[in-house]
Amino acid sequence: MSPQHPQCRAIEPDLLSVAAGEAEAAAVGRVEAHVASCGSCREELGQYRPLEGMMATVRRTPLPDDDATLARAQLASRLADLRSRMVGFGIFPSPLGPILIGRSEHGVALVQYLPAGGSLPARVQRLLGEDAVEDRAATEGLRAELVEYLEGRRVRLDWPLDLGRMRSDFQRRVLEATAALPYGAVTSYAGIAARIGAPSAVRPVAQALRWNPLPIVIPCHRVIGTSGALTGYAGRRVELKQRLLAVEGVKTVAARHDFKVNREAMYTMVTGESEYCVPTCGSLLSKSLSTLTLFGTREVAEAAGFAPCTSCRPDLHPLPA
Amino acid sequence: MAEDAFEAVVGSHHAEIRRYLLRITARGSDADDLSQETFLRAFRAYRALPPGSNVRAWLFTIATNLGRNHFRAQARRRRAYAAAALEMRPDAPDRTDGQMLADETRERLERVITGLPAKQRLAFIMRKMHELEYAEIGASLSCSEESARAHVFQALRKVRRSLDGHLPVEMESRS
Repeated sequence: MSPQHPQCRAIEPDLLSVAAGEAEAAAVGRVEAHVASCGSCREELGQYRPLEGMMATVRRTPLPDDDATLARAQLASRLADLRSRMVGFGIFPSPLGPILIGRSEHGVALVQYLPAGGSLPARVQRLLGEDAVEDRAATEGLRAELVEYLEGRRVRLDWPLDLGRMRSDFQRRVLEATAALPYGAVTSYAGIAARIGAPSAVRPVAQALRWNPLPIVIPCHRVIGTSGALTGYAGRRVELKQRLLAVEGVKTVAARHDFKVNREAMYTMVTGESEYCVPTCGSLLSKSLSTLTLFGTREVAEAAGFAPCTSCRPDLHPLPA
Repeated sequence: MAEDAFEAVVGSHHAEIRRYLLRITARGSDADDLSQETFLRAFRAYRALPPGSNVRAWLFTIATNLGRNHFRAQARRRRAYAAAALEMRPDAPDRTDGQMLADETRERLERVITGLPAKQRLAFIMRKMHELEYAEIGASLSCSEESARAHVFQALRKVRRSLDGHLPVEMESRS
């Protein structure tokens, strides 16, 4: 017989499995019967025999360059870097709709409003980065505190923050100035621009706040237009800004496609001073909101460390509740 | 923590995965890069891995996919790599004639393996060098267990044919 013979072709799979040492008994029997009468297949089988031994030798022979030490050390450092960048996030229902909270090794890195249904818009996916993993357990404590805050049962979110997602040093300065605004206080974009020493950069300040990766926690809702209009929030969801301010005691009136802070109902302070006034105090005269900080209640002004004005005496003549 | 568990995964499997990648790429620097990439990918996906999974086979799957991507990118240079790898091999100083012959045969065997089509080569190395099950090899190559077996057998047949007449006598008599 020859390798082209039909019987030889038929036996080849069995012959290979015998050669590989993996044949079942029946196949071994078939091969033995065939090679007893077929010289070329017997020779072929004989050629396979030394292969297993050679492969065992190759398997045992140390490879040149088989030193994983360097790769292992580099891997350790890349894993450490990956861990520090990696965000674990949870998506939760809240009084303001679905909210995503993400935290890294360094602190809370992201708070984002999601559309109803909780899908992740491309912008949020970009902010999360490719290494984000859903980890509700890691963010559950944060969720509980955030809900307490949104329900007015908590006035501080003392979370360690990861500011690694800032777009620029300018944005970082804007957000740090915004983070310093006390609970229940309101100032203007121009006011923040003045605080960071860039009084003409009102629009850049508004842009920096528009891309705030940590709304609520960094309270950009406390920054409004100089006219008193809320002007914008979370895309086109200015009603969320109104609700957050209402929780903090800031009264607003509905305006066209917007809300306006009712300045007559707000305690008022010249930014940088230490006393707050009623809005009709003579010391305020016709000062622009760009130089003022407003408080919804005396309690929040005093909780922030400010004293009642000694001439208009808001403590003796409070605004009507 | 999941991180500590992953440290253990690195500890148990990194050296073998790198060795596998070294066998299939024949280049230490590629094995370094691809083994790191294998474990970085594994780390990202590790939390989602069902408990009780065969981690070793899973790592081979990731490494195999990265290896195949690498081959596609480097297809034209592959033969040059293999040649360079054989030249890199340090000469053992005191080889007897018999050993020399055995070494030559082994080098020939490695060259034949390097010249196999990618799937056959990977299946053959996973089976014969790392002793993976056919089901695991099939999972790594996105094919059935039967196809994985067929790849190994095809490779085995080609290896035998390529070595026809080059099998050293003392190795034959030993078996």
